[in-house]
Amino acid sequence: MSAVNLEKRRSFDQIAWNAMRYSGVLLIFLAFGHVLLQDVIVGVHRIDLDYVAMRWANWGWRMYDLFLLAFAFAHGMNGVRQVLSDFVHQERHMRAVNVALLVVWLVVTLMGAAAIFGGVRPVQ
Amino acid sequence: MQVHLKVFRFNPEIDRKPRYDRFDVQAEPTERVLDLLEMVKNYNDGTLAFRRSCAHGVCGSDAMRINGRNALACKVLLKDLNTDQVTVEPLLGMRVIKDLIVDMEPFFAHYRSVMPYLVNDEPLPEDGKERLQSPQEQERFEDTTKCILCAACTTSCPSFWASENYVGPAAIVNAHRFIYDSRDRAGAKRLAVLNQRMGVWACRTAFNCSEACPRDIQITRAIAEVKEALNR
Ligand code: HEM
Ligand code: FES
Repeated sequence: MSAVNLEKRRSFDQIAWNAMRYSGVLLIFLAFGHVLLQDVIVGVHRIDLDYVAMRWANWGWRMYDLFLLAFAFAHGMNGVRQVLSDFVHQERHMRAVNVALLVVWLVVTLMGAAAIFGGVRPVQ
Repeated sequence: MQVHLKVFRFNPEIDRKPRYDRFDVQAEPTERVLDLLEMVKNYNDGTLAFRRSCAHGVCGSDAMRINGRNALACKVLLKDLNTDQVTVEPLLGMRVIKDLIVDMEPFFAHYRSVMPYLVNDEPLPEDGKERLQSPQEQERFEDTTKCILCAACTTSCPSFWASENYVGPAAIVNAHRFIYDSRDRAGAKRLAVLNQRMGVWACRTAFNCSEACPRDIQITRAIAEVKEALNR
């Protein structure tokens, strides 16, 4: 297999395929860690504004939550992109789908980031 | 044993839509699904159309859906079906020409697109004979040399059902066979063909292909190795 390395350019679908694996590996830690902490150790019924304020007092947890949001959502959107790829047959239309999904991801992630950076403020 | 055979029938020249014909056939448990079809064609209905040539699992002519799974009719023994109800249908995702015969041309077009032949324009070795290769170098692609182009893998793949533009497992297997051949020099060209949405990246690791292959080629693994070559 000698001449294989001539073509080094990565294709979009190749990058998306790899991103699926990398975000999947990150999610093993981020998503399971999240479930373990919030649902098993703390429990959903004990999560209130005070708890969130306490947790977000630590910037490490804020970053954790931002990473979880960004990567879980990116992974999910990339998965939706794969599913839609089964139904969208023209490359031109697929490009539009890709852009639309990227925009939705960006907007929701930025909204989440704004909430996380804003933090918890006492209600007036 | 008495077998209740249900066969997909469709003749686009006269039929408006496909139908299923039923035949009760007397057969030995050690006989094959192909034998059932031969019996029906010889004694019940001479118009039944199916492909077969070698009848010994070598030519790849008689891939079809048997009780919902892709297989060569000449390799499936009745006793291994664990039932006396046998349903035989054409491969999915391809145009039916008649009954169990499908149009294989789109499949072969994908096969041709990966240049399934040795490419090496370098001068011949000193002695003007063979380009030598170590047993280890040969072992690297041995598994993918076993393909008989029956299309059982490609037509079992959900990505292919979704789009006939997907190059499909069989074409990737045959690309693998040359990409990993130390004597070949066109690996980069084949990889460029496969480095597309409808190339190797449309594979979703469903493993249907590996399960369908009558030659037990580890197809999903071969596809992963082609992805690996692209990621290097
Ligand atoms: C432990 C965490 C996770 C891991 C390791 C993981 C891994 C993967 C991998 C490797 C694929 C690609 C499969 C293939 O095409 O061969 C995939 C697909 C997918 N994942 Fe995840 N994932 C995880 C969590 C999630 C979560 C939390 C979501 C939802 C937000 C999600 C949604 C999807 C979707 C929609 C697909 C596409 C399915 C398809 O192609 O039909 N995954 N995942
Ligand atoms: S007839 Fe040749 S493979 Fe079955």
